[in-house]
Amino acid sequence: MEKGESTSTSYSDTNGSNEPDHDFECNICFELAQDPIVTLCGHLFCWPCLYRWLHHHSHSQECPVCKALVQDDKLVPLYGRGKNQTDPRTKRYPGMRIPNRPAGQRPETASPPPQQPQNDAASNFFNYGIGLMGGFMPMATTRIGNFSFGVGGLLPSLFNFQFHGFPDAALYGTAPGYPFGGYHNGFRGVPGGNNEPTAPGGGHPSDAALKNILIVVGICVFFFLLL
Amino acid sequence: MTSSSSPSRKALSKIACNRLQKELSEWQVNPPTGFKHKVTDNLQKWIIEVTGAPGTLYANETYKLQVDFPEHYPMESPQATFLISFFGIYIFVIFVPPAPLHPHIYSNGHICLDILYDSWSPAMTVSSVCISILSMLSSSPEKQRPADNDRYVKNCKNGRSPKETRWWFHDDKA
Ligand SMILES: [Zn+2]
Ligand SMILES: [Zn+2]
Repeated sequence: MEKGESTSTSYSDTNGSNEPDHDFECNICFELAQDPIVTLCGHLFCWPCLYRWLHHHSHSQECPVCKALVQDDKLVPLYGRGKNQTDPRTKRYPGMRIPNRPAGQRPETASPPPQQPQNDAASNFFNYGIGLMGGFMPMATTRIGNFSFGVGGLLPSLFNFQFHGFPDAALYGTAPGYPFGGYHNGFRGVPGGNNEPTAPGGGHPSDAALKNILIVVGICVFFFLLL
Repeated sequence: MTSSSSPSRKALSKIACNRLQKELSEWQVNPPTGFKHKVTDNLQKWIIEVTGAPGTLYANETYKLQVDFPEHYPMESPQATFLISFFGIYIFVIFVPPAPLHPHIYSNGHICLDILYDSWSPAMTVSSVCISILSMLSSSPEKQRPADNDRYVKNCKNGRSPKETRWWFHDDKA
């Protein structure tokens, strides 16, 4: 009896009563899977264990757990962070040559996603704001993509938008016979960003005052939207 | 030479040993219902007591199973090592006579259950085999020996070729 007890305790020290995690144990040797490989039916094995069973002991090519057909070219290796090169388990089946574990089948590299605006809250907010204001969201979006600063960058772009937009609006007002061209110019001015040449310059003395007013209006709209 | 004697067998491989220790400790935590295994220091041979399930023909009857493990358990396929010169068949679970009267159990204790032979899979365990044996007992419609019992047992004693005493798995497929 003494003997029995001592053996039973020495046996149970590996897992004992606290339920161990069996999720990554090979279904054949019950150890943590080495050179892990998964069948299409989802059952996990050590590659040497599965190979040895299928090619040296079994009469059929079936999964030991669920009897599903197992095809060598449909096995999926699991690559964790462990060393992939060494294969200590193979040596534990002495006198048996176990071929290399099947390699993973790698689909072609995923194509890079289309150029996207920054996804932070500030640019989302900004897109929303511009969309509300002038319906220029697509242009504003591409612009924002080039800005790496957050809210701080919003004011200058807002400013530019107003700055370039206003003279054209004036043109629109003063030359009713040519509305579309003027509007079009202004539209084009927005993505131009800080390009001074597209600005009509200081031909009108009232421009500076109007600019200032529009800056204030723009800032007001901006903070209104912020709230 | 009787079926319950252990012919000379190779010791368990390291992998077999590790796996049996795991099975044993899991058994101790969660033994299958109706089975009792007294742990000894012999990992390679388990003697397991089985009690017939209530409400069946074998209710309250107790029998002994002897489980012998081959060197390369759980890989070893039915036709592998143990007793090969004797039966030509791999047997690792038998009833220690007197065996229960059952259409699939021979009087020498051999059990005609496909998972012990051709349908063995290394994902099975002693515990799952025990459960299958108990369910085989429980589903028995009548207490009797297999029709070929005398011939089979005589062939075993004479050490006849396994081809002549080839197992056939009666009607379990249904
Ligand atoms: Zn394994
Ligand atoms: Zn499977």
